[in-house]
Amino acid sequence: MSNDLIRQYETKLNQLTFNSRPIIDELTIVAKDNPIIADQIVDLIKNRIYKAVPDQKLFILYLLDSICKTVGNPYNIFIADEVYDLYTHVFQFLNDTLRNKMVNLLNTWKEMKTISNDPLFPEEELAKIEEFIKKAGYPKNIIPEAQQLLINDITQIIPIFENKIKTNPTPKLQERYTALGQLKTMLSNQVITPAELAAVQNHLHNIKQQELRNSNTPTPAATPAPTPAQVTQPPIQVQVAQVVEPQRQASLPPKPQSRPQTNSGPPSLPPVPQIPKINIAIGLFNDLLLSGLVKKDQEPIPGSKPTYSLVFPETKYSPMSNNEEVSISQLEDILLASSGVARSEYEKLKFGEILTISKKTKTNDQLQQFINSNKPSSSMINLLYEDKPKKCPTCGKRFTDDTDGLTKHRLHFDWHFRINKKISTKGGNIQSRNWYLDDYDWVHFKDENLLEFSTTETIMATPEVEMNVTQPGSQYVVVPPNDTNMINRCVICREQVKATYNDEVGEWCWLDCIRVPGEPKNSRKIVHISCFNESNKKRSAETELNTNVKREKL
Amino acid sequence: MSLPGFESGIIIDEQQIQKHIITIPIGSEWRIEIPFKSFFKFKVISGIAEINGTELPNNTELQLSGTKLAIYSPKTSQIGYFLVDNKDSIYDNGDNEFSEYLSNETNMSSIINLSMFIESRRQLNKSGPRILIVGGKFSGKSSLAKILSSYSLKLNNSPILVNLNPRDGVFSLPGSLTATPISDSFDIEAFNGYGLTTTTGTSRQNPKQPIVKNYGFTNYKDNLDLYKYQVSRLAVSVLSRLENDPSVNKSGIIIDTPPINNLKNKDDVSLIETIITDFQIDIVVVIGNEKLTLDLKNKFKHKKDSINIIKINKSQGCVELSDRFIRMAQEQSIKEYFHGTYKNRLSPFKIDIDLEGLKLYKFVLTKDFLSTMSFLPAGDEETENTNNEENILDKYYQILEDPSSSNLENSLITITHLEATNNSPGKDLLDTSVLGFVHISKVDDEKKKIKVLLPFPGVFPKNNYLISTNIGYSE
Ligand SMILES: [Zn+2]
Ligand SMILES: [Zn+2]
Repeated sequence: MSNDLIRQYETKLNQLTFNSRPIIDELTIVAKDNPIIADQIVDLIKNRIYKAVPDQKLFILYLLDSICKTVGNPYNIFIADEVYDLYTHVFQFLNDTLRNKMVNLLNTWKEMKTISNDPLFPEEELAKIEEFIKKAGYPKNIIPEAQQLLINDITQIIPIFENKIKTNPTPKLQERYTALGQLKTMLSNQVITPAELAAVQNHLHNIKQQELRNSNTPTPAATPAPTPAQVTQPPIQVQVAQVVEPQRQASLPPKPQSRPQTNSGPPSLPPVPQIPKINIAIGLFNDLLLSGLVKKDQEPIPGSKPTYSLVFPETKYSPMSNNEEVSISQLEDILLASSGVARSEYEKLKFGEILTISKKTKTNDQLQQFINSNKPSSSMINLLYEDKPKKCPTCGKRFTDDTDGLTKHRLHFDWHFRINKKISTKGGNIQSRNWYLDDYDWVHFKDENLLEFSTTETIMATPEVEMNVTQPGSQYVVVPPNDTNMINRCVICREQVKATYNDEVGEWCWLDCIRVPGEPKNSRKIVHISCFNESNKKRSAETELNTNVKREKL
Repeated sequence: MSLPGFESGIIIDEQQIQKHIITIPIGSEWRIEIPFKSFFKFKVISGIAEINGTELPNNTELQLSGTKLAIYSPKTSQIGYFLVDNKDSIYDNGDNEFSEYLSNETNMSSIINLSMFIESRRQLNKSGPRILIVGGKFSGKSSLAKILSSYSLKLNNSPILVNLNPRDGVFSLPGSLTATPISDSFDIEAFNGYGLTTTTGTSRQNPKQPIVKNYGFTNYKDNLDLYKYQVSRLAVSVLSRLENDPSVNKSGIIIDTPPINNLKNKDDVSLIETIITDFQIDIVVVIGNEKLTLDLKNKFKHKKDSINIIKINKSQGCVELSDRFIRMAQEQSIKEYFHGTYKNRLSPFKIDIDLEGLKLYKFVLTKDFLSTMSFLPAGDEETENTNNEENILDKYYQILEDPSSSNLENSLITITHLEATNNSPGKDLLDTSVLGFVHISKVDDEKKKIKVLLPFPGVFPKNNYLISTNIGYSE
């Protein structure tokens, strides 16, 4: 009787492959009603957490969380000794966003008491977990990559301003310098929209361009014809007026209570209105609109969505232009300054080397000379080898020995392990070459999906055995939420599949198709059920054939 | 006792590997030629050794066959090796014997310098450098492209490796032009030392994901117009990818090319100009050819502020390959497309299909096209104007008339991404990319059936346009 129950429980548990409240609730209730088999249920869940593919582990941990919180004794007691192991195991497979979610989960564990008013898990275990996530540097501010690039850009420009202020301090320069600092803080602390991002990017580009030009030709007469960067100058001042305040406070973020003390300037100066951080971006964005760098198209209907487009400056920033000398010495500054900012040891070492090299390769002749006769120093060669001291014995790939490198090294090691295990399983790894992508898919493809560090782990996932024959009929693939392209293609026969609206589920669906096994949830890769079954039949026939051939050879 | 998951499945014969041990001193290369009829089994016992910039693992047995290459030691290394017969080899005659020698005259210092200069350019500019490698026959262009890619990878980049030499199949078959982000190491054990693309299962090395363009011949001069057209189309895709992919954009492009010795031929000049313009090249690396360097500097004088032209010495280790060797290598890479490597076996699938209804085109040899043109009766230009779309295609692809055993058997067919319609595909057929390749092993002229080898089991994509290549192959 209880064996049946366990089996059913396991089956249901295996269906928890997505974040499904109903499944979690159902499994929690069964656990609640059957405390007599609590130990077996706990074992099932623990095993499933370790065995599940990385992007499903969290959902099973959520189930465990649900059972411990709603039922408590004896489940939370059974799990107490292993809560650290389970938590850290799941944690390491997740991306930053999900890791942040796990930090929240931990916080609920710390506050939560069971029905019998006991702590959910032993305090010392939770403290251990807390130390672990702190070491790993979580919770993290997640800044999109494009934004991060922008921050790097600003970090590079700032030292140029610092230098200039030293040699020739003008109020305008000061203002710009402060504005940049503010912009950087803002970008580092919040996510801005792509349109704003693009605008800021372009704006910065122009500042960079102008500064580089100006530094080469200090006399105003020699300044090239008005560039868009100059057009944007007045708006910058408008914006700077808003940030003068924080500058006086030694670049502290604006705080209302400290304003009256520092604002002891002439009474004619109107009190600067308190501007929340986001307004700096909006302000800057509006300035860009005013300057004509960003074009705004909006239907004359209230509430309609405007569309923004960039107006590109006519002269583009080119680091190879005649002021080579200047840009090189500035590069030096940039590299020196940025090497001190939040970079890994390895990146710092690399910057040091590059700095020396850029000095030696200023002109074409110097460059040719450098290529021909420079004797690579050991510090230069080490960048390719010993500066990443962890070398994989299986494939020779190298990793740094900082936290990031060690994490990657471990994930890499696990990956070899999984693959070897899979390949050593008989018939476990029959595979064929895929079709190549078309231009559109290739242009939008991200190579991270091919690597062992991919948290979605899609390529690794194996189709479950029971998937071998799938019944047509009720099968469909829901069009991913952010997808606007309703037309798709079967990966096997390449025939077009158009999405139709499915009333029952209230979603657009590709009918009679399944998602290619192992693909992530939002993947567009679909296959006709008929094609999938056909291909599997042939594959198993082929496998049999292969084993026969082997036997003959033996 | 063996740990689960760690059985490699490959038994290292310790005694065998101890038979021959070679020490490669720091900064030296061990140049070896391995015939197709042998497997060269080896492992790095100590130190650091690499092949074309890809570092070899220590104490893991590796295997090579049918290749000529150098193992370089950035730090003095010891290598144990032995040879076994490849019983499946079909190349008995005309194959070489194993040969090897050590040399301390390499151009590796220059290549390291170049790599570091490239890295400094990545830091200076928003987008990474776009590097074009040019040089004569057997000057080591592909080796240089591999080393620059590998070192870029080691310095935390993933550049796009573009192959414009249709002689070699880079992550594809000979006759195609490809672009592939190098986001992980090359598989030095794979044929030609590139590796696999994505599969339906799990491979021991992370696969690569290329975009593949149709060319259909192994010599770029066979139809220069088509070749240049495809180079430009590939450039459009590559530059779009850069726009969409910050990490690739920051890393740049590395382009390998067919051999060009000098700028005497105006076709070669216009080809280099096309590549430089289309890919927005900013670094040209010329291997071992002073004359070509000067010619290029002269030719692109007006761009000297935006293009660096750098000369690099040819490695002493470059060897001439016989036509026969090249042909065997091409066959080997076709075999690998369907069957995989010895560590990653792939299962292709044989299927019989009707010849009827297939939309078959063929690649056009320019000299054939010109000769048919000269036989056209005078005044035929009018038809050319009335039927423009179809004629645009004529000098690149033509419908394969009367497909039969004589023009299809033992040939490779390109399947395009383009779905067939009732109208002429026109320019669309030129602009599409390669979905994959199939091999036709048998044509039954009576029953109008063909036996096809598909890379993976499933339905033949018979609704797509197919283009029959001039590349023969027999299983
Ligand atoms: Zn490894
Ligand atoms: Zn299908």
